[in-house]
Amino acid sequence: MAFQGSEGLEEQLEEPEDTLRVSPAEEMPIDGPPAVGDPEPEPLLLPWDRFSSWLHCICVVGFDLELGQAVEVIYPHHSKLTEKEKTSICYLSFPDSNSGCLGDTQFCFRFRQAAGRKSSLGCFLEHFDRDAPVSLKKDQGYYYGYVYFRQVRDKSLKRGYFQKSLVLISKLPYVTFFHSLLKLIAPEYFEKQEPCLEAACNDIDRWPTPCPGKILSLPIMGVVMKLRIPTCYDKPGTSQLVQSTPSDSQVSIILPTVHEVDLFRCFHPVFFHIQMLWELVLLGEALVVMAPSPAESSDTVLALVSCISPLRYCSDFRPYFTIHDSEFKEYTTRTQAPPSVILGVTNPFFAKTLQHWPHIIRIGDMKTAGEMAKQMKVKKLKNLKTLDSKPGVYTAYKPFLNKDEDIIKQLQKGVQQKRPSAAQNAILRRYFLELTQSFIIPLERYVASLMPLQKSISPWKSPPQLRPFNQDEFMKTLEKAGPQLTSRLKGDWIGLYRQFLRSPNFDGWFRNRRKEMLQKLEALHLEALCEEDLTLRIQKHTEVETVDLVLKLKEKLTQAEKDQLPVKAGTLAKLQAHIDTIILTLPEDLQGILHKPPSP
Amino acid sequence: MTLRELKVCLLGDTGVGKSSIVCRFVEDSFDPNINPTIGASFMTKTVQYQNELHKFLIWDTAGQERFRALAPMYYRGSAAAIIVYDITKEESFQTLKNWVKELRQHGPPNIVVAIAGNKCDLSDAREVSEKDAKDYADSIHAIFIETSAKNAININEVFTQISERIPVLDAEGGSAVKGFKLRRQPSVSTRERTCC
Repeated sequence: MAFQGSEGLEEQLEEPEDTLRVSPAEEMPIDGPPAVGDPEPEPLLLPWDRFSSWLHCICVVGFDLELGQAVEVIYPHHSKLTEKEKTSICYLSFPDSNSGCLGDTQFCFRFRQAAGRKSSLGCFLEHFDRDAPVSLKKDQGYYYGYVYFRQVRDKSLKRGYFQKSLVLISKLPYVTFFHSLLKLIAPEYFEKQEPCLEAACNDIDRWPTPCPGKILSLPIMGVVMKLRIPTCYDKPGTSQLVQSTPSDSQVSIILPTVHEVDLFRCFHPVFFHIQMLWELVLLGEALVVMAPSPAESSDTVLALVSCISPLRYCSDFRPYFTIHDSEFKEYTTRTQAPPSVILGVTNPFFAKTLQHWPHIIRIGDMKTAGEMAKQMKVKKLKNLKTLDSKPGVYTAYKPFLNKDEDIIKQLQKGVQQKRPSAAQNAILRRYFLELTQSFIIPLERYVASLMPLQKSISPWKSPPQLRPFNQDEFMKTLEKAGPQLTSRLKGDWIGLYRQFLRSPNFDGWFRNRRKEMLQKLEALHLEALCEEDLTLRIQKHTEVETVDLVLKLKEKLTQAEKDQLPVKAGTLAKLQAHIDTIILTLPEDLQGILHKPPSP
Repeated sequence: MTLRELKVCLLGDTGVGKSSIVCRFVEDSFDPNINPTIGASFMTKTVQYQNELHKFLIWDTAGQERFRALAPMYYRGSAAAIIVYDITKEESFQTLKNWVKELRQHGPPNIVVAIAGNKCDLSDAREVSEKDAKDYADSIHAIFIETSAKNAININEVFTQISERIPVLDAEGGSAVKGFKLRRQPSVSTRERTCC
């Protein structure tokens, strides 16, 4: 039944959805996505393959009077977690201080995947990752844990409380989506126990795979969730799914975004410092968020990490970090300078442990912060007392850029006029996007100039080299084509770039760009090769040289397929045809050998 | 032409043929060795009814007892419920009556109920008479029809009759089905949840 069911589902998903509209990124722009020869065949999916493309597993973490927190159930039962990973999940799935999280709380954490273990995501999903935006690519080496924690008084229990967490473990950074999913599953699970998990997993195992750009309909627990994972070809800031007709939330739910957090709500307590925070995140400064609850700490850390989008934040970040974390010592040691990480913590103990950190964000209880925070000065670090300090940003950092009073005024006005939070969030998101783009465009432009000229590509030589990144040369371009072209903000942009070029975020960004450009070069080279008359060429060569050519071409073809080079449609097929033609010119015994598929 | 999404759930004892009915309706196929459903399986099919397209979002629930408690998730928000029994098993007809009771108490008001007496190809082994079932269905104003998923008898008819009973869209463009729900839950939360 399961198999037939999924077939029916697949087929039905193809039909046009006229209740849904994607704006305006519905159509792919002309230059993307790259065509890779023939369309890829639908991979053969085994039971649990679809499930593992979304989730590694689902854990139930409970409290045992003798053992403390313990993983009670792992679903599906065959999922593997090392003891270390289980320990991490246990501690990270519960609030670690007596923060009085009574009722239901949702938050998220991130932890290192144990070394030497293969990810459960099959390699057949690699091409989905290729089309995802940089900041949404799956996280190599880390897992996310999405938590739904329930704590209610229960006199029948020895501890006096029912405390349990349902935790989704995944590589995908779709925080909004997973929190919505948990809202559907967890309350039902706490009432109806294991059959509910069984049903949920069974639903998930029939979902389409998480393919960016498609509108996905995901049936779960009696409701259909509809969403669209953005692609790297979307124009930034336009990938939201909007709804043209209202629908019944007991029938279907439309998620406008899978990953975006409400920036305005998250930054509300430190509103006056958003621009400085953007700089701190951009430069990969060591940053700690001290919050009253894991929900607030994880929301704020995720907001920080996403405020430099479309840039990917390349250092480690922990939306919720506890003293039990396996990286606790590594990150809190005083013998070295604080690492380039963003930590979210709730345990008051950290106020002492991380006293020496250069930038500390303290947020109070967000629920009571109804009024807009009053104009706040940046606080001096020495004023940070260990325990009951006031909310604010504690740092000695002097921002490079002048403060933008307009955005502050605009948002303040919104608060006075009771503008909806969603609108405030959209304004703030746009502001950050424009700021980041103004910053990154000069770098993009300079790096594009490192590409060799098209005419220097010769099919019979190796592809030409990229010119190296030269800091001085780049700085010179700023005079004429700097951020002043797109941003009114004044200040020490040069200083900001200088600092950025030393940061892990630049390193990550440049490495990714370089890889893309090398692939582009390789693709252009391959296309040039395909345009050549190879049979004419081999006439001038010896048999040995021809065999060598065939082997080289075959290797190039395999590599191109493996790397999914951004070549023009049909290029790979053409190359294969060339190879076949050349082989046919060779003696029969050689033909037999060369036709064999390359051994792995 | 407007497209309307209609949530439909199938309820009934294990083994009466709920999944087979859905399979026949959606894919026009039949597998005698179908596995028991876990939780519920989901399929969709869009049909034209007058000047509307009805997209049935079909939740085919598990009949096994251990999934019994999950049923509310599937009938919640449903425009229609198809309760299936096996004409060769008297007991499955008694279970059906319990489902009707549960829907009356906890289901959405104005839910269209269809009673399907499946396996009508096995009339030699019949335990539930057509007349008794029809009388019962009439007494609760439900659609009644005997079906055979195996021989493709009356399967589309079940859904056509459901379409006929779905209230037409009112002048303001809002669905009448939705209107009932809003009346039942007058809080604004329903509206809010749909738009975010």
